[in-house]
Amino acid sequence: MKTIYYLILVPMVYLAFLVFIVGTIAKLAKIFGSPKNPSSTLQIYPQKNPPWFWALADSFLMPSVRRHKPLHWVFLMAFHIALLLLIIGHLELFEGFNVFQFIPHELFLGKGFVGLVLSLTLLFFLFRRFASPVRDLSIPEDYYLLILLFLTVLFGAQMDWARRWYSYGELGPGDYKTYLTSLLYFKPQVPGAVYNTGHSFMLVLHVFFANLFILLFPFSKIMHSFLTIPMNKLRRG
Amino acid sequence: MDEKTRDDLLKLFQSKLNEAMRFYLETCSRCGTCTEACHAYQSMGQVRYISAYRHEIVRRIYKKYFKGQGKAFPAWGESKELTEMALQELSEAAYSCTGCRRCMVYCPHGIDTQMLMSIAKLLLVGSGTEPEILSMLADTSVEKGKSLELYKEGFLTGIKNLEAQVVEKWKGEAGRTPIPVDVEGADLLYVALAGAHSIIPAAAIFNAAGENWTLSFFEAVNFGAFVGDPTRTKLILERIINEARRLKVKEVCICECGTAFRVMKQQSGKQPFTVSSITEVHARYLREGRIRVDKNKSKETITYHDPCQMARNGGVIDEPRYILNQLTSRFIDMTDDVRYNWCCGGGGGLVALGEDTLDFRLKSVSVKVDQVKKTGAKILTTACENCHTQLSDLNDHYQMGVEVKFLSSLVADALIH
Repeated sequence: MKTIYYLILVPMVYLAFLVFIVGTIAKLAKIFGSPKNPSSTLQIYPQKNPPWFWALADSFLMPSVRRHKPLHWVFLMAFHIALLLLIIGHLELFEGFNVFQFIPHELFLGKGFVGLVLSLTLLFFLFRRFASPVRDLSIPEDYYLLILLFLTVLFGAQMDWARRWYSYGELGPGDYKTYLTSLLYFKPQVPGAVYNTGHSFMLVLHVFFANLFILLFPFSKIMHSFLTIPMNKLRRG
Repeated sequence: MDEKTRDDLLKLFQSKLNEAMRFYLETCSRCGTCTEACHAYQSMGQVRYISAYRHEIVRRIYKKYFKGQGKAFPAWGESKELTEMALQELSEAAYSCTGCRRCMVYCPHGIDTQMLMSIAKLLLVGSGTEPEILSMLADTSVEKGKSLELYKEGFLTGIKNLEAQVVEKWKGEAGRTPIPVDVEGADLLYVALAGAHSIIPAAAIFNAAGENWTLSFFEAVNFGAFVGDPTRTKLILERIINEARRLKVKEVCICECGTAFRVMKQQSGKQPFTVSSITEVHARYLREGRIRVDKNKSKETITYHDPCQMARNGGVIDEPRYILNQLTSRFIDMTDDVRYNWCCGGGGGLVALGEDTLDFRLKSVSVKVDQVKKTGAKILTTACENCHTQLSDLNDHYQMGVEVKFLSSLVADALIH
């Protein structure tokens, strides 16, 4: 079992990040290396100036979703904000990454509620795909990604909840820091707590599903993380 | 479908894969925000008219042949083979889309459905299953560009016959030709449609403004764009570009045809002339005092339908409103945000397909009918030939009780000597 744990926690993480980085760069190079559209513009009028500002506003605030699907917008905003906080939380697991400590806080941000918000929003996104007309638009990729993200978040968040809400103390940020920082410096070190505590299984599953998600990232619609801003710029002129 | 045909079609698909198209193919999250954007879905309630649903028909083929997942894990994105049936699906999707781009306003990523449908249209052209009539009209336009001499005499005779009607609307200076043609060094080249209604009012207004203008030998409409064939679109466009360069004009003015204007404005590249719509030119004449109009000519309330290719996609928004406010004090705006104005349902070549699409055109735009009725206006004006035809069909079918008029005709009728 320890070998399987190790394979997931070390080689699979490296593989996932390698595929993610190479795949994403290759995909972006292919897209941005394609010829430009022959039309002088693809924008929607009237133009609002400066277009780049409105393209950023469209990308980060999603005003069209707020106008047409307000409930969906609330969940989308909550999801993306929580995701950002969670990414910051994970970056802070690298030793020395203290940029966001200008507001002193305990790891992770949000006292467990960030994970809760992510879990609930993902369930909302999943359940709304069960109903028409979104059901008719959905394809397997949409379900796979939501389920994968939900599992990743659930196993990750439940460790945080246990620690924050139920005083679970056998496995914590100190162990995560040692593990993640060692991966960063290519000197993999898996603390004993990661293998032997009650939550080891949860952590390994969390990392496993996260690895799968990262592996699939460049080949999925999640590439919208990189493409939405230039697309909105095209629309804004 | 045999392998060679499929390969040829996939080469055509590949030719459409520019940067923007790849954005649109890679990004849709199928969130459903666009659901209510399409007039056809909003009027008929059928899922196949939702923009994201249309996109996916093209995207599934893209995934099959242009992405690794099509081979490694086809179930992931439901990638689909290019077959006769797939072509039929593409045809249904493409020729029920007017290319109005209203859904692009809704999409949080800004996906352009018209662009994606252009792939579908090109595959239909490649397989010879495009609407025959559009293809024939495009071929005729291309042919006219190649052998103008054959058409010239008939064209000039036809134009000569219209001159009396132009003079009836505006008596110009003695000795000046009411409809000048092929004038080298003219300031403005007017590109009309094949029809007196597109030439007479425009000529009267040019003459009233004292414009140094000349009429193009070619019709503005670009059937190559309607049928979705970039090669023919370019050939049809180049006829006008070459004529404008030969005559050394400073401005090319496109008649009331949304697609013609957008194609000329946005696809002609860097040229020694500017491109304007006739609506912009008329607004300019009024602003500069080159023409004057009688504000009390029309006693009825007037509303204006923004042609999608002119307004949302072409930026001609303030000009028609300025003109209408000069023409009447009874102008009622149909929308407070032109980005969301409903399409008339006639674009994308649907009107040119005539009776073949009439039933769909009538059923798919009940939202437009409601929008017009809500204004309570008696005159419905627009600045696009397709929109005019479609709105007239809607008016007859739904008994909207309006008179459908071209904006340029209203201007010509209200000219003050």
